Amino acid sequence: MKTPLFAFTLSMIMCLGARAELKWEQTAVELHPAATDKQAVGHFKYQNTGKTPVHFKSVHASCGCTTAQSQKEEVPPGDKGEITATFNIGDRTGTQVKTVTVETDEATNQKTVLTLKAEIPQQLEIAPNFVFWKQGEKADTKTINVKVGKDFTVKHIKVTSSTPDFQAKVEEAGNGRFKIDVKPQDTNKVVASMLTIQPEDSQKVFYATARITNAPTAPVAPTGPTAPARPTAPTGQTH
Amino acid sequence: MARQTAVVAALALLPAAGEAIYFRDKISWRSPIAPSEMVTVEQARGWSDTAIWVDARPDDEFANDHVPGAISLNEDRWNELLPQFLAVWAPGKKIVVYCSSLSCNASREVARRLRKEAQLSDVFVLEGGWEAWLKKNR
Repeated sequence: MKTPLFAFTLSMIMCLGARAELKWEQTAVELHPAATDKQAVGHFKYQNTGKTPVHFKSVHASCGCTTAQSQKEEVPPGDKGEITATFNIGDRTGTQVKTVTVETDEATNQKTVLTLKAEIPQQLEIAPNFVFWKQGEKADTKTINVKVGKDFTVKHIKVTSSTPDFQAKVEEAGNGRFKIDVKPQDTNKVVASMLTIQPEDSQKVFYATARITNAPTAPVAPTGPTAPARPTAPTGQTH
Repeated sequence: MARQTAVVAALALLPAAGEAIYFRDKISWRSPIAPSEMVTVEQARGWSDTAIWVDARPDDEFANDHVPGAISLNEDRWNELLPQFLAVWAPGKKIVVYCSSLSCNASREVARRLRKEAQLSDVFVLEGGWEAWLKKNR
């Protein structure tokens, strides 16, 4: 029993010593992009601490919003490099976790998952960002709640409706909160309006939608002559 | 011989067990949403005209092909696309959100935001996504 076990252990130790090995400086990166940033870029550094070259077989991101690039296809022994992961923020908010899977020809540990975590700051949290009334329903006021995100200071907000069919009135609720009371002129016709919400002294613009909906059996088609009214976007808007 | 095999198997299980404990919250196939908020292709097709199909994939994939009548709503252009979706939504409609495949996460995120931000109900994620729809329809 002792001899085979010793031989097994010895062969394992010898294999470990001779193998090619990519040592990662870190496999998880946390980023804190600014509110205006379009991208968040993570750098994952590595070094081949083995005695044979390592080849990258594939570098694959978990979603279409992230791209990943390796500087080289082959990493000679002792050589260093990095995988660059670029996360396109788009209109995403909050905590975002994206992964990049790296496959190599190493004898062991061929697959490494690199994690990119980005905390995307949100100046305003708006809920609901959609208020609606059924056609013919009583034209009561509905409220949109706005909360200022942590690390931001917003003392006033300005709300503009893209059509005169809805009136929007802002009320400061204190403690970084606002209430937007939305009221339709009437609910006789199917109309929609885009509400533009802009913090004072800020270029960033937020949106909400107000709409009078038709009957529940409305057509599904997104376009065409039978499609219900779309909200009219205010001119010169930015996203 | 059997004893040696058992010893080797036990040695191999140790790192596996350690990894399973360490990554218990990061299992990729674990769905962050309740099973009641998932829907199969067959169930969703059964809803017929009462369902709105929402494509959460990037613009280029939507442009390449999509479920007939589906509306594009992805997080790359959420602020621009959401009003277009809301323009066709109607009370009583069921919303079926899909992304590329079983492993993608975009549909879950879009469904979550529709529930939380727009406060819509009857929002479902399509099991298996676009790949599953293709399999059943082509």
